[in-house]
Amino acid sequence: MSKINDAKKKFDNIEIPDELNFVVQKAIKEANPMKNNKRKKMNPLKNFGLGAAAAAIIFAGSVNISPAFAQSMSNIPVLSSIIKVISINELTDGNDNSQANISTPQITGLENKELEATLNSKYEQENAKLFAQFQKKMAKIEEQGGGHLGVDAGYKVLTDTEDLLSISRYTVETQASSYETIHNDTIDKKNELLITLPSLFKDNDYIETISNYIKDEMRKQMAADVEKTYFIAGESDVNDGFDKIKEDQNFSITKNNELIIYFDQFEVAPGYMGTVKFKIPTNIIQKDLVSNHYIK
Amino acid sequence: MTKEEKYKLVEAFIIENQHSYYRLAFSYVKNKEDALDIVQESIVKALKSIDYIEQIEYIKTWFYRILINTSIDYIKRNKRTIASPDEILDFHLPNQEINLHDLDLYDAIDHLPITYKTIIILRFFEDMKIDDIAEMLGENSNTIKTRLYAALRKLRIEMKEDVES
Repeated sequence: MSKINDAKKKFDNIEIPDELNFVVQKAIKEANPMKNNKRKKMNPLKNFGLGAAAAAIIFAGSVNISPAFAQSMSNIPVLSSIIKVISINELTDGNDNSQANISTPQITGLENKELEATLNSKYEQENAKLFAQFQKKMAKIEEQGGGHLGVDAGYKVLTDTEDLLSISRYTVETQASSYETIHNDTIDKKNELLITLPSLFKDNDYIETISNYIKDEMRKQMAADVEKTYFIAGESDVNDGFDKIKEDQNFSITKNNELIIYFDQFEVAPGYMGTVKFKIPTNIIQKDLVSNHYIK
Repeated sequence: MTKEEKYKLVEAFIIENQHSYYRLAFSYVKNKEDALDIVQESIVKALKSIDYIEQIEYIKTWFYRILINTSIDYIKRNKRTIASPDEILDFHLPNQEINLHDLDLYDAIDHLPITYKTIIILRFFEDMKIDDIAEMLGENSNTIKTRLYAALRKLRIEMKEDVES
């Protein structure tokens, strides 16, 4: 039997990994409904959180559906602090021929009130200006015997993760033909910072890197698809094609932490292309990035 | 006993014996990741079916039964060679010959069919009673005894062959 004992020794010497205890504890926690129940009982706040989240969803929905509801609700502080972006005011005006539809996003719930206020007042001012311009133009057109004019301004939440919030505001002005512009803002929700394009990079080399990539991409897309046309400086018939991006070119960050560069309509392509955007592969800009915190 | 007390007991029992579970699971699959998977799966299965255990003294056999079944399912599910490459390598390295002697029985046990292997491990390594093993494997005691003798006989034959060669 001593051989059996030797074998037993070998069996007993099977190494116990450090993770075992963790795995066991986790499995117990996972499987035990009693524990979950208990936690629920002891923590009514958790349920409240769920309820509040559900309410927030309904609320956000209502805000977007009904401007009147948004107006009436925007003064209730508790509710507005749950939501990150809501329509704060809808400016509408117009007659049969002209129409303005301007909705302004408001960011709420940030601890950094200065940032919040700066962004919100920027949004408000810009849209107020837009609205005033529209009214002026409309009056002029009426004076001249009528015509068509349209302004449609709104916003889209491009990315909303735990860390990031990217909002895109767009304006489409229609007068015979239309002209669309966009303005994006990306916020680090954790640190409550407004992320600017230069802040992502070590130095200004990124302008060159990204511009070259976009030019290559434009050529590739044009070669692959005859429907696509971009203006590249020195390569197209127009005088001023795309040479390089602006230091603060419009951008957004996707939920997968990829950088997207945006161009207004007409900026780099003929009008039928609309606003255009390019996803920049992270490996292209890796050497220029300050860190992989935002862009991965 | 309330359900909560039962949980506490089972939990405590699982935590206390986790090393034995891991070793048994490891004996089947021969690698850490799979063994941890089996232990984890068995605990979840066990706690979810805690209502089926009526007398608390059966915790041990009940849990082992789940663990063994989970292991067998796991092996069936992931049909692949489970021999650890290191051990095979050890086996072929010339300077390892001194160890060959105590390696042998353990290794021979490893190569037994899974039911025999289980019985040997539980009986000799975990020091369990034949009756308990029978309970765990859902067989009667006589069957287990017969299998145990068969397993021992098999081992002796394998060992003898080795001695002769």
